[in-house]
Amino acid sequence: MSSNETMTQGRKRRTNNRLWALTRAGIMESLQFRLGTFVTLFANLIYLVLVYYLWKAIYDSAGTDVVNGMSFNDTMIYLILATALFNFLEMFVVWDMSRAIQSGKIILDLLKPMKYRRYTFWSYSGAHVMQFILSFVPTFIVVMIVTGGAIHIGLNMIWFMISVIFALLVNFNIEMIVATICLYTESTWGINIVKETIVLLLSGASIPLAFFPDSLARIVKYLPFRAVYDTPLSILLQKNGSDEWLGLFSLWGQQIIWIVILSVAGTLFWNHSVKKITVNGG
Amino acid sequence: MGDDRILNAGSGGGVSGFSGGVGNGEKGINGANGGSAGTLAEGRRRGLGFYVRIYRKILVQDLKSKMSYRADFIISTIGMIMTNLAGFLTFMILFGRFPSINGWDYHHMLFLYAFSLIALTPVQCFFDNNWNLRFMVQSGDFIKYCFRPVNVFFYFMSEVFDVKGLGQLAFGVGTLIYAWNKIGLGVSVVIILKLIVYLMTASLFMIAIMNAAAATCFWIQGSGYVMVIMFRFKDFAKYPASIFSSVFKFVFTFIIPIAFIAYYPSLVLLQPDSVPLLSWLSPLIGLLFFWLSYKFWMLGVRKYDFTGS
Repeated sequence: MSSNETMTQGRKRRTNNRLWALTRAGIMESLQFRLGTFVTLFANLIYLVLVYYLWKAIYDSAGTDVVNGMSFNDTMIYLILATALFNFLEMFVVWDMSRAIQSGKIILDLLKPMKYRRYTFWSYSGAHVMQFILSFVPTFIVVMIVTGGAIHIGLNMIWFMISVIFALLVNFNIEMIVATICLYTESTWGINIVKETIVLLLSGASIPLAFFPDSLARIVKYLPFRAVYDTPLSILLQKNGSDEWLGLFSLWGQQIIWIVILSVAGTLFWNHSVKKITVNGG
Repeated sequence: MGDDRILNAGSGGGVSGFSGGVGNGEKGINGANGGSAGTLAEGRRRGLGFYVRIYRKILVQDLKSKMSYRADFIISTIGMIMTNLAGFLTFMILFGRFPSINGWDYHHMLFLYAFSLIALTPVQCFFDNNWNLRFMVQSGDFIKYCFRPVNVFFYFMSEVFDVKGLGQLAFGVGTLIYAWNKIGLGVSVVIILKLIVYLMTASLFMIAIMNAAAATCFWIQGSGYVMVIMFRFKDFAKYPASIFSSVFKFVFTFIIPIAFIAYYPSLVLLQPDSVPLLSWLSPLIGLLFFWLSYKFWMLGVRKYDFTGS
């Protein structure tokens, strides 16, 4: 074994250690706020009660059991898991970055021996892991029990998980691009609310995309937002042709294409913008 | 944000920002500067007029500082309009597929929606500083509010006036007038008075919810989630409370009172022949909720004092 090779291996291990350290720090930080987590869980349950009664009333008034290929159960699973995914995927990149710029801390992050995008992503990974265990998994189990086997249990769960990881990456890239825009505008609240509104509406998180009128649905089809919520949930519910290999691969393919496009665009945008960053003090 | 500039606790520069405007003869401001015992005692006897005057002064300063961040101001306003449009689009998509919900047709639902938008304006405009509370408490900056001879709650809330809420108000009024015409409610002095009283009632409930949610930060760390979730609950205020089963109807009426933000108050206008008792009583209940949330908030302030941070 040449010394060169051991060096590469050592470096690799160091990198992995570094990434794991970031993840672990995130987990510790989330555990700090145990009471907060409990309150969030409870409030989420109440929120789901609201969603349940609203859609029950809607379906009762509709007169038919299936609307646009979605039964009441499908809609409920879709919306509840969309909410759970929302909690799981939620990142505060925009807020954190703007605060880091205001306080000047961003300089320290930029000087770290790691690419800023990568550093940000891995710092959030711990929170994601905790959110997944504390929020997504319990919700998922409750939904499975309540709907009594409406979720098909099989390989679709694994395909769903793969799709969720893609969704995480798409979401991260959208966040990074929006955060980069904030470097220019000095406006965080405004940019963030625009992003949140657009993502929640056009990704199907507030109303399943199946209910959208055709004209709007056609536009949404060509936007990246549906890759965050609609695609994983369609795969789980075996809609949109995802119960066949061809359909499944095309859905994954769309997600991957969006990851590539958004991360290339995001990296270029970030590299261009970071030169213009103005930090007062710090 | 720029707000800190105006009201730096105790520091001369900050106070001059509005003592110049008020004039040195004003007792309250002198109290803020010097904090002598005599002016403090007088502070107890201050009436509404004093508070209105102070509010106006602080408001002007706040608007000035907002205007200096022009890009932020414009983008935030656009953002607010976008949220309202998205909310409206959600509404349209839903009613494009489903003609009625629980016996409520399109125009009646539109009425509820517009009613809730208007009722949510005061909390947006006057009580927006609640969102900053947890940062202030965590960083310790909150202590500055406790050193002034004015009501802490009043002083804290007066610091931010959110102009963006006015866009929502315009949007809501336009929609309400449209729905009003379509339902054919007619116009008379009595009905307009009723509308105003019950809109104010409705807004009291949302203010109470947000006050209580914000005040949790005195006890819980990371309480931002509580506010975010409570703020999301309000999206359901625009649906009739009759969709809930009895248990949850109780919950959303008396514990998290979102049913009062649009449903109960607007029944007074929409079903004048069979108004439930709760609708008539809602102004009183609204005042009670507001008072409770205020007490809860102030309890948090007292607790904050005791930690001595």
